[in-house]
Amino acid sequence: MSIKMCQPLSLLDRWIQENNELVSKWKQQERGGDALGRDQSQNQTHLRWCSSEFHKLLRKIQGIPPLADHTQLELTVVYNACVCFTAQSQFSEAELLLKQSTERVLHIHSSSTGSDAVASDPHLFWRTVLTSVGNTVLTPCVLRLLCLQWAIWLSTCQLKSIQEFQNELVSVFERLSAEVWDKGRSEPRGKSSDTPLLVIDPRKLIELLQICTYIAQGAEGLSEGRSSEALSGLQTASSLPAPRILIAYTHLLSGSCLAHMGCPQMALQCHRKALETDHRCVCALYQSMLIYRQLGNTQAEIQALRLLHSTLMLPSATESPLAGTDLLSPSLLLHSQSLSSMLSVPSALSVLHNLALKCVLHGRVSEGVEYYLNLLAALQSEDQLGVHAGNPPLPRLPELYLQAGAALLMAQRPADCMALCDEVITTTLELLPERVVLEEPDEECEAGSRALCGGSEDRVGMLLWASAAYLLQGHCHTHLKDWKQAVTQYTRCFNLLVKVRLKKRGFQPQIPSADMVGKQGTDLCFLQRLKGLSLAGRGISFTQTDQLKEALRDLQLSLQAFPECVAAGLWCGEVLWRLSRRREAASCWEKTWSFTPQSTEASLSVYLHEPQSGPQLDSMELRRRIQELGPSLLV
Amino acid sequence: MDVRCAVETCAEFGFSGATCTPRIRCGLGTDVFLCTGSDEVYIFSTEGKILTAILQFPGPVSDLVQSHDKQCLYVACRSGVYCVSLQLLLSRVESSPADASSELKISSESLVAAEEGVSSLLLVGSVLLTLSQRDESWMLTLYKSSNYEKLSSFSQVSGVGHTEGKTMMRRSPVLICVYASDALSSIPNSSSNEAPNEGHFHLDSVLFKLLFGIDVALAKSPIILCGLPDGCLCFLPLRLPGSRLRVLHSLEQPVVFVGASIATKTSPGQCLVALGELGRVVVIKADKGGSSEARGNITALIEGCVPGPVVCGCVDKNTLYYSTGSDLLLLELSERKSGGEGQERPTCNTAGVVELLALSVRGRLRRIKLPVRTEDDRLSSVSNSQVGRSVRDLLSAIGDVCERASVLKTSIKSKNQILQHLNQVLNISYLLMAGGENSSTNFSFPFQNLHPGETLEVSLPLRAAGDPSFPVTVSCSLLFSLTSLLGEEAANLLALQISCISLPLNTLTVDWLHALQVSSHKAVQEKITPQATDPTEAFLRSCRLRKVEGGGEGALKYLASVRVSAELLRDTLMVKKSSDFDPLATNVATENVCLSLLEWLLSEGPGGVTTGQKGDKVSLSDSVVQAQGPNRQTVKLTAKEVYAGEEESLATVEVQVQSSSIAAVCGLHHAVLRRVQTLLQRAPERAASTKSVQSLGLRQALQRAEHLLQQIQQSRVSEVFGGGVSTGQMSRTLLNVYREMRENPLVII
Repeated sequence: MSIKMCQPLSLLDRWIQENNELVSKWKQQERGGDALGRDQSQNQTHLRWCSSEFHKLLRKIQGIPPLADHTQLELTVVYNACVCFTAQSQFSEAELLLKQSTERVLHIHSSSTGSDAVASDPHLFWRTVLTSVGNTVLTPCVLRLLCLQWAIWLSTCQLKSIQEFQNELVSVFERLSAEVWDKGRSEPRGKSSDTPLLVIDPRKLIELLQICTYIAQGAEGLSEGRSSEALSGLQTASSLPAPRILIAYTHLLSGSCLAHMGCPQMALQCHRKALETDHRCVCALYQSMLIYRQLGNTQAEIQALRLLHSTLMLPSATESPLAGTDLLSPSLLLHSQSLSSMLSVPSALSVLHNLALKCVLHGRVSEGVEYYLNLLAALQSEDQLGVHAGNPPLPRLPELYLQAGAALLMAQRPADCMALCDEVITTTLELLPERVVLEEPDEECEAGSRALCGGSEDRVGMLLWASAAYLLQGHCHTHLKDWKQAVTQYTRCFNLLVKVRLKKRGFQPQIPSADMVGKQGTDLCFLQRLKGLSLAGRGISFTQTDQLKEALRDLQLSLQAFPECVAAGLWCGEVLWRLSRRREAASCWEKTWSFTPQSTEASLSVYLHEPQSGPQLDSMELRRRIQELGPSLLV
Repeated sequence: MDVRCAVETCAEFGFSGATCTPRIRCGLGTDVFLCTGSDEVYIFSTEGKILTAILQFPGPVSDLVQSHDKQCLYVACRSGVYCVSLQLLLSRVESSPADASSELKISSESLVAAEEGVSSLLLVGSVLLTLSQRDESWMLTLYKSSNYEKLSSFSQVSGVGHTEGKTMMRRSPVLICVYASDALSSIPNSSSNEAPNEGHFHLDSVLFKLLFGIDVALAKSPIILCGLPDGCLCFLPLRLPGSRLRVLHSLEQPVVFVGASIATKTSPGQCLVALGELGRVVVIKADKGGSSEARGNITALIEGCVPGPVVCGCVDKNTLYYSTGSDLLLLELSERKSGGEGQERPTCNTAGVVELLALSVRGRLRRIKLPVRTEDDRLSSVSNSQVGRSVRDLLSAIGDVCERASVLKTSIKSKNQILQHLNQVLNISYLLMAGGENSSTNFSFPFQNLHPGETLEVSLPLRAAGDPSFPVTVSCSLLFSLTSLLGEEAANLLALQISCISLPLNTLTVDWLHALQVSSHKAVQEKITPQATDPTEAFLRSCRLRKVEGGGEGALKYLASVRVSAELLRDTLMVKKSSDFDPLATNVATENVCLSLLEWLLSEGPGGVTTGQKGDKVSLSDSVVQAQGPNRQTVKLTAKEVYAGEEESLATVEVQVQSSSIAAVCGLHHAVLRRVQTLLQRAPERAASTKSVQSLGLRQALQRAEHLLQQIQQSRVSEVFGGGVSTGQMSRTLLNVYREMRENPLVII
């Protein structure tokens, strides 16, 4: 008799001991993991081991019919096992274990209640559980399990379930935190060997769950366009006790809400607050940059880009700030697509390219050149290994080379520009086709066809790159006043361009002309522009060597290919003037001045812009000439 | 061209069930590293031909690679990648010179990258690459070789059938690095003109750009190429932002080797070569302008096949060397045959001699020297040392042949086994097909109101299926339509696919005896008249009959007989017939036995077939029966008592079948035998006395049978060779044999 009385007790003690040993082993590992830093795989193996050990223990406990004495222990082990499952993203296993164990202990049988609804509807199930427990010793144990259910809902992005159960969860939060406090105060420390330990402090877990729920709901609301609603939740969340990075995220998302609501300045404030709260919140910097761009504040945008780049170059930047060594990290709980897209930041290289381009386009050429050279150096460096493409991806490398070359020329470094262009030319020259047919893409399936005809696309692309490189080299020689060489390079550029035949639907391939350019930004547009620029360059070079006939021919052809070419227009007038065709010259100048400034030029690559270097004509002088001519015209 | 190579066996390493492809790596100086798939790595000096050291790892070694400065060795093991410092190793080896081949245990302290299942390794600059298989995909992982920090990883979904290769061992993927040949400056340790590192190839820049794009060329990035066991040839630009593993080509068979021919200024067409396990060779080279429309360089992909299975391969200037396990073969990669073949090749001096290091399947390390294939004058004057060497060549070649012969022997053995199996399968399928050849005819007839106890008579023509060839098997089955049984709705409810149910009833066999018409003159008349509705036809028929009969008994030239012991008949037939058997009246009894046997044969046969003479039982007065077969052949059945055995001690009844038609004799003989067989089953078990059996002259009978068998075989042989024996002659021989067999039967006891 006495043995019978004694046995379950000792069994209980042994199980408690086993549970506590496992918990303390985990804690030890966690502390050790902190010291080691980034040994993730080792952590994972240990977690797997812990998970299976807890599960084994639970199977032992559940091997005998449920006893009232064992209930507390059993529910604790269920909690520990479920935490391990959840930490390994084994959500369905965790959920099943939660449900079955709770049913077993509390004698809730979905079959005996007579409805399958309890089994299928988790809300109904948990309500049944809560009422059947009432307010007993077991309540905290059951509430802890409910917390885990909450964590699973959050991790699997079932925000609706959380929403529907919001009231219960809030009360759980209140009751449980009160319980824990009471327990902490009333129970003497010495008894801890009798009470089963927990792998995660439920109070900590609840805090985490609350703020993560707010963040997830905020992101969801923001992506669905309910900005003001999301904002109020996020602002509540920002005052909760939580890890710094999560608080920073609430500020960040608040800022995004405000930006959506049309309050950019307030949004900028929020982003600043986010950065102040946690410097790892890099996306706040990125979002600020986007707002400055939207506001047209270029200097601030460049400043933000520079900051963003230097932050991304920090060694800690590659680590996700959400990942922690804790069992249930925020990165596990915050899984939603909308949030991750909001937190994404382009790669450091992409930011550097943006920075370089912005500087060059907005008058900070020498700075921009330095960034371009840094970018090219980074691309050549050995450290650049298997870096994943950010969003947006970097432009193709020849494109980058040509942009950098154009920037170098702008910075009065023609020799460097020519070296870069040489690189592009030698790389592409052997692969250039003798003749290439450019198919005018259809209006409706433009995107599709571009993806499909990748092979010929690249051949056209290569040809355009090579000719652009020749064009830049021509500009360089013009800059150096080496007219003969300039003519050679422009001719090479033009000779490449005439290899392209345009094929329209239902027609034979033909040499394209200016009136065929339908849309800006297409290969055809680039082609015509390159033709115009190369002919204009050559024409201008001829004017410098007094070959006026050749110059006039080239400049007129240039205007045919690319009518908006300002240099060609002005120089054409100049040649006509020198050839004593003054009236034609005057009308040519007038026509050129009447062109509306090109809005499209900004969207084009820098190397396709009209060169700022080289021989220039003074508009004042030209106007003066027209004025002088004017009376004679009247006469 | 058959070339004799100088083969020199350096050492032997035992092989015990290698789990993956063995690897050889050339180390510093003359050292060679070997891993055979076991836990050990051998360091072998080819100069001294001694085993310098053995490294013992905790698990099977799958690959190894040496650092660029040759200071350390990376070894891929089951649990991860180990790094062993060779300097340390050699000093430890030297400290214990007594132990010629010291075995060093490598502990987990040397583990630098914990990653499970690494199957291939590659070192590119400061990056260590590992290729491992995870579930359904291959993972290419990059580590910094300075601190083994994991840089990034790429995955490629693996196709099917990567493990179910033809070979037993798991084929390791191939991992190489390719550089554009104008990017030489970026390659570490390329200062000297030494042979390139293993697994590192330079590719002509045009081909490189065509294959991998100009961005890669501009970034001067090396390309990692992997040949996977599923046949995929994937590439990864190592230093290009946003690069990912992409498929270059698929060989559709495990990739054994990927490499590039060595780029030289003189060789015009450099190419990338991939070799599959089953012998598929893919050569990719740059082609200058094919079509007139879009001239310029394009990639040309040449696919070919060499006899497989290919075990390993390597490539030099223009030649692909590959091994089939038993043969070492070479393939010329440049197919430009301009001018004399000998002149085109750059002159080979002593340094140009091709020397291969090979590890045979059985674990024998060999050094193979390929002869210089230019017509060199110096070779014609054979010096003494060269003679000596050629003898040594021959000796080692003999060793080679021995090994090859044993391989061939086993292959022949297995082929024979396969042939045997094939033969069996063919025989079985032939039998099955023969069984299916019998044609059958279906008759179905409806009956509506058949009440219990009532009978239904249906006449079916036997000739309907062509010429009646007896025995005919008649299978009767009852077919129900479900709809008519259950009503339409019920049948629909059941929703059965089959609307009919078939119940097999019984199976009857109608043989020659059933088809016989016993003819006394009267019976013939009676039987024929009712049938002949047309008088003309009746007349014609009777004429025909008379003519047949007119032939007389002399025409019944074919004869077959069956002997049954009288005792057996008495036990089975007579007991039933007359319970009051009188032992005294033996004579009558003998007569009775003969008669009753005939009667039994002609009356109802086994299996419930009722013959035409139903109603009145056949009662014969004579033990000789004249009858007509189904084709109106005259048939004579005779039953008489014969005493068999040497002392004529055994009373038997002999049934003789005689007819002018051999078909009738055969059929009847078969039918009689079949009937007697059923009789045997009915007979009470009883051991025949040995004496009586002996007295039957079994030996003679056997001898006769053997003689007959010989005759048959002889005729068959002559049939096969067609040796002067005409078909007619042969069939006559066979017929004679047959008749002899039938005429002198063994007694059925």
